[in-house]
Amino acid sequence: MTTIDDFLVLVRHEIGLPVGPEHADVPLDQVPGWDSMHLLALLTALERQTGRSISLPDVLEAESLHEIHELAVQS
Amino acid sequence: MTLSELHGSGRLAACYPLVPGLLAELDDGELERAGRLLSRLDPDEVLRAHPSTPVVAVAVTGHRTLGPLLAPLTAELARHGMLVRARLSDFDAYVFDLGDPKSALYEARPDLVLCVLDPDTVFDEVPVPWTAEDAERALDALVARVRDLAVAFGGRTGGTLVLNTLPLPRRFTAQLVDHRSRARLGAAWRRANARLLELGDEIPSVIALDLDPLLAEGVPAEDARLGRYARTGLSPALLARYAREVGHLARHLTGRTKKALVCDLDGTLWGGVLGDDGQEGIELGEGLRGEAFTAFQNVVRQLGSQGVLLAVASKNDPGPVQEALREHPGMALRPDDFVQVTANWRAKPDNLRDLARDLNIGVDSFVFADDSAYECGLVRHTLPEVAVVRLDEEPARHIERLLRDGWFDTRELNAEDRARPARYREEKDRHTFLSSFDSVADYLSELDVRVRLAPVTGAGISRAAQLTLRTNQFHTGMLRCQTPQVSEAADGPATRVLGIHSGDRFGDNGMVGVVFTRRAGDTVHIDNFVLSCRVFSRGIETACLSAVLSDARAAGAHAVEAVYRPGPKNSAVRAFYPDHGFTVTGEEDGVLTFRHDLSDPAGIVAPPPHIRFTESLEESR
Repeated sequence: MTTIDDFLVLVRHEIGLPVGPEHADVPLDQVPGWDSMHLLALLTALERQTGRSISLPDVLEAESLHEIHELAVQS
Repeated sequence: MTLSELHGSGRLAACYPLVPGLLAELDDGELERAGRLLSRLDPDEVLRAHPSTPVVAVAVTGHRTLGPLLAPLTAELARHGMLVRARLSDFDAYVFDLGDPKSALYEARPDLVLCVLDPDTVFDEVPVPWTAEDAERALDALVARVRDLAVAFGGRTGGTLVLNTLPLPRRFTAQLVDHRSRARLGAAWRRANARLLELGDEIPSVIALDLDPLLAEGVPAEDARLGRYARTGLSPALLARYAREVGHLARHLTGRTKKALVCDLDGTLWGGVLGDDGQEGIELGEGLRGEAFTAFQNVVRQLGSQGVLLAVASKNDPGPVQEALREHPGMALRPDDFVQVTANWRAKPDNLRDLARDLNIGVDSFVFADDSAYECGLVRHTLPEVAVVRLDEEPARHIERLLRDGWFDTRELNAEDRARPARYREEKDRHTFLSSFDSVADYLSELDVRVRLAPVTGAGISRAAQLTLRTNQFHTGMLRCQTPQVSEAADGPATRVLGIHSGDRFGDNGMVGVVFTRRAGDTVHIDNFVLSCRVFSRGIETACLSAVLSDARAAGAHAVEAVYRPGPKNSAVRAFYPDHGFTVTGEEDGVLTFRHDLSDPAGIVAPPPHIRFTESLEESR
């Protein structure tokens, strides 16, 4: 998983939210159907897919899907 | 069609009846994802499309963040075709939720309250640095507090409170460096857990779930990062297993407990193929695999001893099967352990349908266990309402596969349950007896039916509750009651709970029905009338209704009113009251109300002549 599009596919698959590129940079609470619990599921899925450990405090503080993606690819 | 395709096309609510089938074969990870999808589905949207879908109102409260429980809970109830209306409390709200009679939790009138306790519920109240004695004091205080809350809960609502034991993580025990203190902490911890479990015995509205067996499967108790940063208590994996237990509990509370276990034979109850290998050649009793099959049979027998009806559906010739069941020295299950042994070459779904008809229960009461992927798939496809336990070629795993889901979980077991398989076997004898008569009337007069109608007391209370929970066909009011609710009605000044007991020349049927009545002014209301399907068509219901009417008249009532609420399978009793002299006084959303004017004694239907009827109603008035 490298691109933001790959990441959005993962969000759609894991969380079942119909997110597209238009949701990448909006605040998370404006992503339709978003719930803070999704972050936990997403973190687990991201770590499983990347094989790397991602900082949960950083993910919890992320403000958009884009920021979460950056955390996943940089770590 | 998959769940996410349905969701994507916006048809999930419309196709909700398909959901249990779609979830049936998902692995844990897939089920978790399915739960996230389903938890965003509005229950009301489903109800608009499918109004009879059972809905369970669940309040989730506790000490730590419990949001991660909602998705698995939704998925587990959906596996059983149910909807959940969940209410999630704020962080650490359980004391307020359960302690304040005006709390939003009580206002929501939940059917089930999940009060999820975790290790930090204790350790958040232990000072630092600490000793084993400090922890013991916090444990004692916690158990006393939970007990007080549970007692208060029982007095305030008819719902069920689910408590759980506390896992003891090493991150606490290992902080004590001396083994003596560590052992003291461990002992105090187990004593507290034992007291929590005992609350289930002490307080009727409480069910205490033991998490130790789940942990023993290797499920992690906690997740360090989620615990620290997201303030969760139990790990997501443990919450998912907890949700599975709650799913079966909800299934039981809504009257959908499975009643029968139907097993295949070759590869399931023994190894090898009886038709090819002969009785001497099958794997059973001796040898490593043979012992594994016998161990599995013992578990099946254990379930049978607690009222689960056991049956066989096997592709075999009937003769050798009967011989093997009778004679094989390694056989733990014998012909008498089964209510029916079906060995033939028909498709298994057909045999299951016939079996349901013979036992007079729905196919949705069946659990079907088979080692053949083909047979499992066929049953799942043809009869999606049957729970399928897919076994494989490894008999050592049969036991955990069968028990992984608590299909037969029930709140409490009574003598009636233990006697159930024998009663169903007697019922089959009655059918054979019936075929030797020219008319049903001749048969009934020879059957020597005895009926007794009397207020329920003692152990009869839980049996009465169970009848309301298990009975789907002859059930006029469709009111499912837990033991505390029946107890309340039995003790009430104006309400009565009358147990129907019956027997005949083949044996005692035990308590087979229950009538709930309520006096209001000069009217007696029959709020519910329930009769077990085992004793239909014998005039028992007529005898009892006649007695209730006569008793009401003798007690000075001017009328008896009754109600019919439609359920998935009770349409046959829609005409029960009109057939017995009641007139319809109203109809709304399928709910019918009836009235019987008691002024003319001749208007009260006479009890059938073939029944020997005794009642003890007067003294209880």
